[in-house]
Amino acid sequence: METIIPKTSTVFSALLRADLTTQWRNRRGAILSLMVPVIILISWKGYIAKIGGPATLANSLCYGLISLGLMGYSNSIARDRDKGIFQRLRVAPLPSWAIMMSRLAVQLIMILIITTAIFIVGFNVDKITLSPAGYLVTYFTAAVGGAVYLALGQAIVGLTKNAETVNSASRLVFLAFILIGTFGGLGALGPQIQEITHWTPYGTVETIMAAGMAPAKWDMDATNALLVTLGYIIVFATVGIKQFKWESK
Amino acid sequence: MNNQQDSILKVTGLNVQYGSFTAVKDVSFDVRKGEIFGLLGPNGAGKTSTLSSIEGLVKFNAGSVVVDGFDAREKPLYARAAMGVQLQSTSFQPELKVSEILQLYAGIYGVPLTKDKLEEILKEIKLEDAASKKFGELSGGQQQRVSLVISTIHNPRLVLLDEPTTGLDPQSRRQLWERIEAIRERGHAVLLTTHSMEEAESVCDRIGIIDHGKVIIIDTPQALIEKYKNDPEVIAVSRRGKVTLEDVFIALTGRAVRA
Ligand SMILES: Nc1ncnc2c1ncn2[C@@H]1O[C@H](COP(=O)(O)OP(=O)(O)O)[C@@H](O)[C@H]1O
Ligand SMILES: [Mg+2]
Repeated sequence: METIIPKTSTVFSALLRADLTTQWRNRRGAILSLMVPVIILISWKGYIAKIGGPATLANSLCYGLISLGLMGYSNSIARDRDKGIFQRLRVAPLPSWAIMMSRLAVQLIMILIITTAIFIVGFNVDKITLSPAGYLVTYFTAAVGGAVYLALGQAIVGLTKNAETVNSASRLVFLAFILIGTFGGLGALGPQIQEITHWTPYGTVETIMAAGMAPAKWDMDATNALLVTLGYIIVFATVGIKQFKWESK
Repeated sequence: MNNQQDSILKVTGLNVQYGSFTAVKDVSFDVRKGEIFGLLGPNGAGKTSTLSSIEGLVKFNAGSVVVDGFDAREKPLYARAAMGVQLQSTSFQPELKVSEILQLYAGIYGVPLTKDKLEEILKEIKLEDAASKKFGELSGGQQQRVSLVISTIHNPRLVLLDEPTTGLDPQSRRQLWERIEAIRERGHAVLLTTHSMEEAESVCDRIGIIDHGKVIIIDTPQALIEKYKNDPEVIAVSRRGKVTLEDVFIALTGRAVRA
């Protein structure tokens, strides 16, 4: 009976394997995050001529990422907290951050899957093509954008007590994003609202993703949007981590 | 009492506070090699809070916890590696299969899990046919067995069980007692909590009675009955003329019902 502290790599791969399996078994929820952008992409066909292929792709991808962070991630974390799954993991000889890192790694994989799906649907349905650099940079901006909504999801879990509250809060915020995006972003509520929308967590993510799809045209506005996006990540993640409790008592 | 080196767990002057409420007050006890120590107390007595402090889930305000020579505050990973834990509520991902949960925890504790070893474990807990069942599909007793076997998967020196038999039917309860005794026979020290006198009397080598966050007394069940059988308060609460551990417990902790 000697005391061994397992290697971090062993611990992490065990966690990741379990989290990937769980995500796979719960794929019905993930399919929603995949269907939302695909449906938007198909139904927004008319906008392609007006706002351009990249902006249309970026828009629908944005909704996929929002749905992933707000509906998928936050609810799964809240459920596992309610069930005491985290507490059981935490009494094992592993650092607590490893538990969350594994969860986030699964979400990163989801972001890559959703982004790829958007590229495929965009090409097949709307004949939208990007340069190789455009595809590459978009994987990066999608990961950054996805991080905003994951951090926001984390903040919601941090600020609420149980899974039911998280569920309704995240739905509400999700709805707010849809409204902001469809009415504010497209200018239906006037140029002032459109400008404000541009700097919301919806607008900046949409901007960096659209810019990333045509990296040759990356401009000052995109750089500013990227900086604001990083700011959102820092603010939401700080709230989400500082307020987070591992159990819902 | 004099064999201090044999104590696998040593809790000294433990204090746990939630806001302004003190849940655990100056609690001290030790659990020795090869013994089952029962922390016995009514609901809200502070049993889980004490265990949580040992496990590192709750930050304690004062006192010290030493597990197998490792200070739980200074060397939390070592302390946790030396203990196996079953929490009060079952707590595994319901969509994972039993075999997957075993693999997860083997990985987390750094235990190589071959196919043979996995089968051996499943057989031990009589779940060889349920290996591909999801945890959420198991019965309460089956879940309990999975949880218990995971608490010893890395052969820890100390095993902590928080109300392991609450909610089980008499058959499962007996079976679990035997499993806990088997853990002791393998040389582990066991700390369990319970509010069942019968359980404390049947399986525990020593018990500590805890109430309102304070340990009132620590001794063997037999010695406790012996000590208090002539106490007028104990006799007053005893029924049918025979003093049981329950009478001692009620006399010491009062008759008021706890929420
Ligand atoms: N996280 C917490 N925050 C505030 N009070 C708590 C918390 N956990 C337990 N308590 C309180 O501390 C006391 C002891 O609880 P606990 O240790 O769970 O008792 P037991 O396990 O013996 O039933 C109870 O009064 C309970 O309400
Ligand atoms: Mg308890």
